[in-house]
Amino acid sequence: MTAVLDARGIVMTFRNGDEFTRVLLGVDVTLDPGELVALLGASGSGKSTLLSIVGLLLRPTAGIITIGGERVDTLSDTKSSLFRNKRLGFIFQFHNLLPDFTALENVSFPAAAAGGGITSAIRQRASELLARVGLSDRMNFPAARLSGGQKQRVAIARALMNHPELVLADEPTGSLDRASADQVLALMREINREDGTTFLICTHDEQVASRCTRRITLVDGQFDSGMRNKTN
Amino acid sequence: MFAFLVARRYLRSNPWQTALLIAGVALGVTAFVFITALIQGLAVRLTDDVTAKSAHVSLEPADRVARVLPGSDYDTESVALVSMLQRKQIRTWAATVALLESQAEVTAISPQITGSAVLVRGEAAAPVAVTASDPKNLDAISPVSREIIVGDARLNANGILIGVRLAETIGLSVGQPVLFRTDRGVDRLLVVEGIFRSGIQSLDERAAYVSLETARPLFLLPSGVTNIEIKLKDTGQARAFANFVSGATGLRATPWQDRNSSLADALTAQGQTGTLIQIFSLISVLIGIASALSLSANRRRSEIGIMRAFGVSRLFIASVFVMQGLLIGIVGASLGCLAGYGLCSWLATFTKPDGALALPIAPAEGGYALVFLLTTAGAVLASVIPARSAARLDALEAIQQ
Ligand SMILES: Nc1ncnc2c1ncn2[C@@H]1O[C@H](COP(=O)(O)OP(=O)(O)O)[C@@H](O)[C@H]1O
Ligand SMILES: [Mg+2]
Repeated sequence: MTAVLDARGIVMTFRNGDEFTRVLLGVDVTLDPGELVALLGASGSGKSTLLSIVGLLLRPTAGIITIGGERVDTLSDTKSSLFRNKRLGFIFQFHNLLPDFTALENVSFPAAAAGGGITSAIRQRASELLARVGLSDRMNFPAARLSGGQKQRVAIARALMNHPELVLADEPTGSLDRASADQVLALMREINREDGTTFLICTHDEQVASRCTRRITLVDGQFDSGMRNKTN
Repeated sequence: MFAFLVARRYLRSNPWQTALLIAGVALGVTAFVFITALIQGLAVRLTDDVTAKSAHVSLEPADRVARVLPGSDYDTESVALVSMLQRKQIRTWAATVALLESQAEVTAISPQITGSAVLVRGEAAAPVAVTASDPKNLDAISPVSREIIVGDARLNANGILIGVRLAETIGLSVGQPVLFRTDRGVDRLLVVEGIFRSGIQSLDERAAYVSLETARPLFLLPSGVTNIEIKLKDTGQARAFANFVSGATGLRATPWQDRNSSLADALTAQGQTGTLIQIFSLISVLIGIASALSLSANRRRSEIGIMRAFGVSRLFIASVFVMQGLLIGIVGASLGCLAGYGLCSWLATFTKPDGALALPIAPAEGGYALVFLLTTAGAVLASVIPARSAARLDALEAIQQ
């Protein structure tokens, strides 16, 4: 079975003039299809940095990344943009949605911008996804007027738009109240279970982590290998 | 096109700012239209003023000897006399007139004798430039009879018309005789028939009109004329027509432009001033668009970052901003052209008591197509800078702000 994600020896050193910040010191991650993995670690431990590297938004100082069997760390800027569009999904903590567009338009956007606008097939898929995240009645709502939890559910629908094999979520519940956070997490679990979509979720919320199929923890730029749990 | 939809949405999401931006563009375009229409109107008025009172093409014998005014010095006068005896004339003018009459282009023909003379009255003497024409052709080139303020313009034998300043200088009034001494040394008493006021100082001071029959013995030209003056339907055709006539007759033909080089210079200078103002109004429009779109790109950094994260291409991001520039350019230029046309048409309703426009503006000549194209193309160019900076944005940096 091909791993969805295989990252080997990821090193990340930020350079600001003469000052070097060593964030990742040779990290290995492998995600199998259908996993729902929590990426834990103290604030500043490099969770977002690792997620960005895996999501092709940031080039590592060293390391090899393979997604779905394809070597991606060497892709050009244009090719990695295309790869993100077709094969990855993103959910962020803030500013997820485009405020001037409706929920439906936000969900359609990744497909519409890559092709020739919002075709009827795209509209169809987007409304199915919105129904799935429980927002059938908010399709034509301007994104700016949705609540925080609704926004994150739209973001999940949008991340799924192009049938990604890996969804990367950075603190997706970080700015939500408990009830909304539970709803959003439940949704990700459901999609993971029903579709087999693989999730890598950055979080420092123990409750979120406890409902994932596995957790990995970053400590001092490396993984604390003792924390594997595949029991949940 | 999806980028176009996104551009439109962005512009509409900030209606006031967009309205202000479009108003600014429209204002610049209005200024452009106004100045273009004004410069064009001024040029037409200046040209009309000149061509209304002068010949459009003048025919003279080729290689005419320069005229020399008689001086007080004996030697000079004798030299002048010799050269004047050789003065050329158009002997076959009747044939030339017949040729001209067959040309549809021609609206008026006036065969003339022109020369210099001195008017003497008692102690006072004044030099005059005399134009002699058939009395029925008196108004053919310049509306002399309309400018008569005392007397009439019948031009009987021995009658002379003089300008109002000349009349004042040597104290002449209508009905009075005056000694007329030509540059041929011929003297004769003429009677002042009419006094005109053209409003042009040099004419009112120096010009005089007599009939061709009166002039013949005075200038020793029993059958010839010295020049033929022509008016055309279209003053713009003067040069081409002059070439044609000189080719056909062997006469020297001078279009009106060559006699008014200062007008040509004035028009050129005016045109250059206009171009400068046009350029500045366009530049201010473009700076407005570039800065407004740069602000918008900056405000939307995090959104652009999100789009880049889910794989929207840099080209798409750039085209969203270029489309915004294009839309602003098209809408602003259209409104500006409309407003400019309205303004010019309104200004063109104001007339002076004599019926002329208070402001010589030509609403139809606002350079609309030019300003529309320049503004639209310029708006696209101006949006390239913000479009590039938006497209080059680092997605991660933008999201993490
Ligand atoms: N662009 C950058 N330049 C320099 N240092 C950075 C940059 N991005 C992140 N860092 C540093 O890397 C470390 C890890 O950051 P981050 O991955 O955001 O941590 P986390 O998401 O786990 O809180 C922090 O010390 C942060 O200051
Ligand atoms: Mg983080």
